[in-house]
Amino acid sequence: MATDLEHATSTIYSPLPDSDNGYHPPSSERRRPIALLSGIFLSMLLFSSLIALILNQHNQHDIDHVKSPLVKPVSRGVSHGVSEKSNSQLLSSDVEVYPWTNAMLSWQRTGFHFQPPKNWMNDPNGPLYHMGWYHLFYQYNRDAAVWGNITWGHAISTDLINWYHLPFAMVPDQWYDINGVWTGSATILPDGRIVMLYTGDTNEEVQVQNLAYPANLSDPLLLDWIKYSNNPVMVPPPGIGTKDFRDPTTAWLGPNGKWRVAIGSKVNKTGITLVYETTDFTSYALLDEVMHAVPGTGMWECVDFYPVSTTESNGLDTSVNGPSVKHVLKSSLDDDKNDYYALGTYDSISNKWTPDDPNLDVGIGLRVDYGKYYASKTFYDQNKQRRLLWGWIGETDSEAADILKGWASVQSIPREVVFDRKTGTNILQWPIKEVEKLRSKSWVYQKVLLEPGCLVSLDVGLATQLDIIATFDIETQTIEEADAGYNCTTSGGSFSRGAFGPFGLVVLADETRTEQTPVYFYITKGSDGVARTHFCADQTKSSTASDVTKLVYGSNVHVLEGETLSMRLLVDHSIVESFAQGGRTVITSRVYPTKAIYTSAKVFLFNNATGVSVTANVNVWNMDSARIDHFPLGQH
Amino acid sequence: MKFSFPLTILLLLLLLQQTLLSAMADIQLIKNTCKGTPSSSLCLKILLADPKSQNADLTGLALIGVDAVNNKGLEILEQIVALKKSRQELRPALDHCAEVYHAVVDADVPSSRDALRTGVAKFAEQGMADSAVEAQVCEGSFGEHGRTSPMTGSNNAMDDVANVVRAIIRKLL
Repeated sequence: MATDLEHATSTIYSPLPDSDNGYHPPSSERRRPIALLSGIFLSMLLFSSLIALILNQHNQHDIDHVKSPLVKPVSRGVSHGVSEKSNSQLLSSDVEVYPWTNAMLSWQRTGFHFQPPKNWMNDPNGPLYHMGWYHLFYQYNRDAAVWGNITWGHAISTDLINWYHLPFAMVPDQWYDINGVWTGSATILPDGRIVMLYTGDTNEEVQVQNLAYPANLSDPLLLDWIKYSNNPVMVPPPGIGTKDFRDPTTAWLGPNGKWRVAIGSKVNKTGITLVYETTDFTSYALLDEVMHAVPGTGMWECVDFYPVSTTESNGLDTSVNGPSVKHVLKSSLDDDKNDYYALGTYDSISNKWTPDDPNLDVGIGLRVDYGKYYASKTFYDQNKQRRLLWGWIGETDSEAADILKGWASVQSIPREVVFDRKTGTNILQWPIKEVEKLRSKSWVYQKVLLEPGCLVSLDVGLATQLDIIATFDIETQTIEEADAGYNCTTSGGSFSRGAFGPFGLVVLADETRTEQTPVYFYITKGSDGVARTHFCADQTKSSTASDVTKLVYGSNVHVLEGETLSMRLLVDHSIVESFAQGGRTVITSRVYPTKAIYTSAKVFLFNNATGVSVTANVNVWNMDSARIDHFPLGQH
Repeated sequence: MKFSFPLTILLLLLLLQQTLLSAMADIQLIKNTCKGTPSSSLCLKILLADPKSQNADLTGLALIGVDAVNNKGLEILEQIVALKKSRQELRPALDHCAEVYHAVVDADVPSSRDALRTGVAKFAEQGMADSAVEAQVCEGSFGEHGRTSPMTGSNNAMDDVANVVRAIIRKLL
């Protein structure tokens, strides 16, 4: 057809030479079939185009005909109706905003968790230890209590508890990070140099990786940072979306002496970990094969990759590998806003990480924390030879309240991470020992017998900043089968009574328990007679305000033969961090009571089980506030 | 072969059909986007009012929505200024309304725009959800001061627009 057309145009001006000597049918006869076909085709085209036009016009008419938007009833701000959360848990679109008072809002600020004086914070970045100071950088918006204009905030501490705020480490001032100086990690080289890799969002909204380093390595405060003159050092490779390439990890040494860095991404719905190799941190080569991939998990943000010892209780430098070492691969899943991890082995020759249990692979198995917790990142603390974990704890109240109170988000108390040698299948997270220096007055309650339906008030003085350790003894042999299908998140919380649960602590409760936050164990028994223990944090009645999240968080927790049930709670105003069995299952909750605040907050022990009595031993400490202040730079 | 007149017409009509089809496809994206929003008619009105919607992808449509929230917010802020002069007795509630609508225009809108452009739609959703909340807060503040609101229409309009845009953004999640 094409060649005919070409010939057609070339013969427009030059009539065909009458050179055919062969048979010529009458010209009208010859053209008739072609003409007929073209005619039919043409009219079909015309017809279908006409139909298309008409349909289009008809649609336009539809649009014009519809009148004004739906009439809505006027809402009253004070009455409490069905609520909607402007955080990720949605209900209806009718909003009842609680009339938060200044007293209620200012109570929400924590006493000993890291948070900047005001505005929005998210991911922890580049944690490291250098010349006597622990450094924390973090995603920060200097203009508002909502996400945006992201810069790197900076704070230092000698003990990870008391902090000094420093000036911003990096601001979005280059074309390659003008739309955001996003998350990154630090690598400390053997010669002591510090290398920071971070994601920049460019002027064209492409995610790239950039290199930065301290202006003066002998400055213990690491005040000033220099961005490498030839940034970016990594750009999205072919096949990877320009908005699917972020959060570089701490580097580790490969077998050939080259450094390796991991970056999370996705291909369609498969979450992947890309790995780059470098010798100088300025030029990188993408390894052909990904380190690992898990279908259906979506985009992997904030990938973390680190070794844990299976025999010792100390942490390991990120480059360590060997026979008594397992590697944790962790990812923050963009699709469900939770942090997941899995234990496995890393073959550094092939750069492949293999999960110990493919059924509990990254993103489909264990979560780092079963509550409000995201973008977590570990670092190796060479000062005390520990692997430490930071996690971003966002708000679960409404953004309107955040804007009112002028701030949003805190960081978790740093947790020490070790391999759980007793179970072999998970890590343990435990608040760093340094937090115990805030303990002041101690209240001990021993052998408190809690019969079914029992509630015991514990006098602990001011109950808004507490460290609580509680153990529970319970006899489970007597009953055959109970609540086999129990699940914290679908249960009715502490009001759903079963034979062996719930029982535990109630914190941030007012005297009449109109508001309360129970954290409890719930034991179930399957038809096989095997007991399972669930650990839950119940926010369903945590506040009379309706514009806050009120879910029950939690999961099951391994309890080994002969182990006592134990839980530890760090209560700090609007955050409760709950640890079961030494940190085998962890739940972080944000709570926003309106009544159970200041001196009205109380602590109770409870047993809502119907079939067993529980004996509790509790030690409660009041916690002093941390000193979190601006560094007196004038004297530096 | 002689110059084929029918063939040229064929070509031209093919071109015409392609253009029509592609224009229909863009309308189709807009219609599909508006399906499942709390008010598809309002959604269509917002998107079609902006000529950029003809060539926009879903993110572009969401950005047009955020612009609509911004424009509504600015319009309401002007309305509040005028009301403060004509209805002095409503001053406390109007002051509160000005505060919350500034939150919409100065915090929620820029945050949502940034988030959409940089591909982190989850933060954009929060900004639009909050804009709807702020509208409710303004409306409620009249009742709190024992007054009837003169801004019910505007607050309802902001609530509606913000909820529609939020629904558009959720399609990006």
